Amino acid sequence: MKHSLLLRIAIALGILLSFGLMPAAADCEGEVIELEFMNWWGAAREAYMDELIGHFQEENPCVRVINQVQPWDNRAELLATAAASSNPPGIIMSTRPETYQFAINGLIIPIDAYVDAHGTDLSVFYDGEIGLQYWNGELYGLPMPTAGGLTGLMIYNKNLLRDHGFDPEDPPDTWQELEEMAAAITVADPMGVDVLGAAAFGTDAEFVAWLYTNNGKYATDDGRTLLFNSPEGVETLEWMVNLTNNINGGTENIIDFFQDTSFSQGDHPWYEDKQAFLHINTSFFGHFNVADPDGYADTDSWGTMLRPYNGDNPDAHSAGTTGYNYSGAWAYTIPAVHPPEMQEAAFKFAEFIGVHPLGGCAFLFRQSRPSPVKACNENPAYYEVNPYWSVVLEGLALDTPVQITPVQGQLSEILSNYIEEAYFGVKSPADALNDAHAEMQALLDEFWAEFDADNM
Amino acid sequence: MQASLKSKHTQPEVTWKSRFQEWWFRNRALIGFAFIFPWFAGFIIFDAAPFIYNLYLSFTDYQIGTVGTPPWIGFENYIEIFTDDKLFGKSMYNTVYYLGFSVPLRLIFAFLIALILNLRVRGMELYRTLFYVPSVVPLVAATVIFAGFLNTRYGFLNQFLVLIGATPVRWLSSPDAIKPSLILLSLWGFGGQMIIFLAGLQSIPGDLYEAAAIDGGTGWHRLLYITVPLMTPTIFFNLLLGLIGGFQVFEQVFILIGTNGGPLQAGLVYMLHVYNKAFRDFEFGYSAALSVILFLIIFVLTLMLVYTSNRWVFYGDAQDDEN
Repeated sequence: MKHSLLLRIAIALGILLSFGLMPAAADCEGEVIELEFMNWWGAAREAYMDELIGHFQEENPCVRVINQVQPWDNRAELLATAAASSNPPGIIMSTRPETYQFAINGLIIPIDAYVDAHGTDLSVFYDGEIGLQYWNGELYGLPMPTAGGLTGLMIYNKNLLRDHGFDPEDPPDTWQELEEMAAAITVADPMGVDVLGAAAFGTDAEFVAWLYTNNGKYATDDGRTLLFNSPEGVETLEWMVNLTNNINGGTENIIDFFQDTSFSQGDHPWYEDKQAFLHINTSFFGHFNVADPDGYADTDSWGTMLRPYNGDNPDAHSAGTTGYNYSGAWAYTIPAVHPPEMQEAAFKFAEFIGVHPLGGCAFLFRQSRPSPVKACNENPAYYEVNPYWSVVLEGLALDTPVQITPVQGQLSEILSNYIEEAYFGVKSPADALNDAHAEMQALLDEFWAEFDADNM
Repeated sequence: MQASLKSKHTQPEVTWKSRFQEWWFRNRALIGFAFIFPWFAGFIIFDAAPFIYNLYLSFTDYQIGTVGTPPWIGFENYIEIFTDDKLFGKSMYNTVYYLGFSVPLRLIFAFLIALILNLRVRGMELYRTLFYVPSVVPLVAATVIFAGFLNTRYGFLNQFLVLIGATPVRWLSSPDAIKPSLILLSLWGFGGQMIIFLAGLQSIPGDLYEAAAIDGGTGWHRLLYITVPLMTPTIFFNLLLGLIGGFQVFEQVFILIGTNGGPLQAGLVYMLHVYNKAFRDFEFGYSAALSVILFLIIFVLTLMLVYTSNRWVFYGDAQDDEN
């Protein structure tokens, strides 16, 4: 008898709880559309996204969004199989190269018609941000977070600068100053680097980021001709290779230094005062605040600066890039195979994420990182949650959009491989860039030839 | 009485059991097929059909999400692989290098451990279990543990090298050390082969060793002239599986050094290249062609091994039958 009563109470509670978790379904007068949302907003951001979804469902009770946070590992495989399947998620978070690839293969729909029908005001976005989501004149997604702020900013450890006799309030402006400080701070032994001053090692994205601080360019504005093997490009790679070999003791030291560490997990050398200068994207602020809240609050121990430029080049200045990084320029894209009502629901959600104050705006504020919507970043409270907000805004203003194509993944792979050959001394930086250019330009020409033929 | 006895002998009683047995005997082939049908259906659906579809895709320009029939391009993918794909040669070289060391090393290691575990020592069951435990650990977990061992600064292996006065090795950051690291990792899962060797060793008749001992054969002689020849079928089996598995090595490399294959792509094995073409470049047709080539290589090598096995594999029973 007692058990039966308990069972009834449990069932009743279960039913009540189920309704509590589905407020959208409770208030909807028509059919509820379930929208699977494939995204990579993991870690602390998952709770923020759940909150965003809750706000969306309050305004759209007939859409039930299922937050499907995916693991970062095997991302490409997960995304490709989901997008190409006959039953993909209702809305997919994809990077710019992926969006372009899906677009040319007809996997996702352009959203211009929905934008017109809903009267979505695209002018709320920075031109540079919304502009990255167009392919062949059609808009495929609304941006969130910013594509900018990925490469133009660095953080630095004031304690390490102070300990080595440098003014912690005067971070380096130029490559040469950065080199001087890095040489003084770096501690290496036969097991590798123990304390790292600065690293100028990485894949193609890192090279392209430094290239723009030497007044170089990756490609022409129409994306048809690659320009990175210019004298500025060669000079940039030479500087990166020299810094890596002469100050850091070689490429292996840098690979080992960062092995098995993750910024978002809090086991990065930065958190142990083992790194003086670190390139960041704007997600850093949120991760830092979660992983080490006391350290984040102690602005006497860390600072934010713009990426240094080549002081020997009178035309060079601090700069960043937008839209180049393979893992950047995120948007929310709508698969083509779904029925119109599902696509309509997906657009509503994408629009909420994109322009609603309780959407991406609030979501990014929680992470102390900027929004692609201009008005959001004007919130004075940002200065309280992010002690270096003015530097962030300065960095965003210096970002330059880079034109890419749907074959960017292949181009990146080629460039990365040749750059690596320069680091390991297999090729000189000039030869590596020239060889990469020849191979990449051939691939790009092939792509454009096919594209032009299809669009004649 | 006699008549009744006669009829009892000439017309045995027909029971449901005898009818069933008769039916079973007459339809035994059909029943056999029914028993293997689940496996056969699985083979057709999950192996044969995807294989044939993959073969078809290899002649097309199938890219992610190609709507409708993918464009037929004949041998273009194959021509491109052999004429224009630098990573094809590189990944094949890396794979063959890996195979060339990992397969024999693993065989020798598993065989030696099996020999030791075949000794009659108290508590041997415990030792056998301990040696097999690493094989039970999931490959992903084993690889992550191994990555820790290989860490340059904090890893067990380098700590040990420093302790004995040797130079630490950049296991995962030096292009020269990547392949040896992968080969070392391959030894981790030797337990499966060891168990097969152990089973083979235990099937060798003891009287052969006794006869050899009576004739004055030493332990070395017994190993060389009894154990090894009688173990050749098992060695052959393990070699074949090792080769097939070695060509398809993927997960541990993927986890340990990532999709690009590590510094200078020194660890870019063939299956990583297949994966990258499919899931990074979204060229599924091309990737299918790469996998067909791998299948052909494995198929031809297997045939060659089977063909040459007559010369070095000792099938004792077959020989007895012939004699």
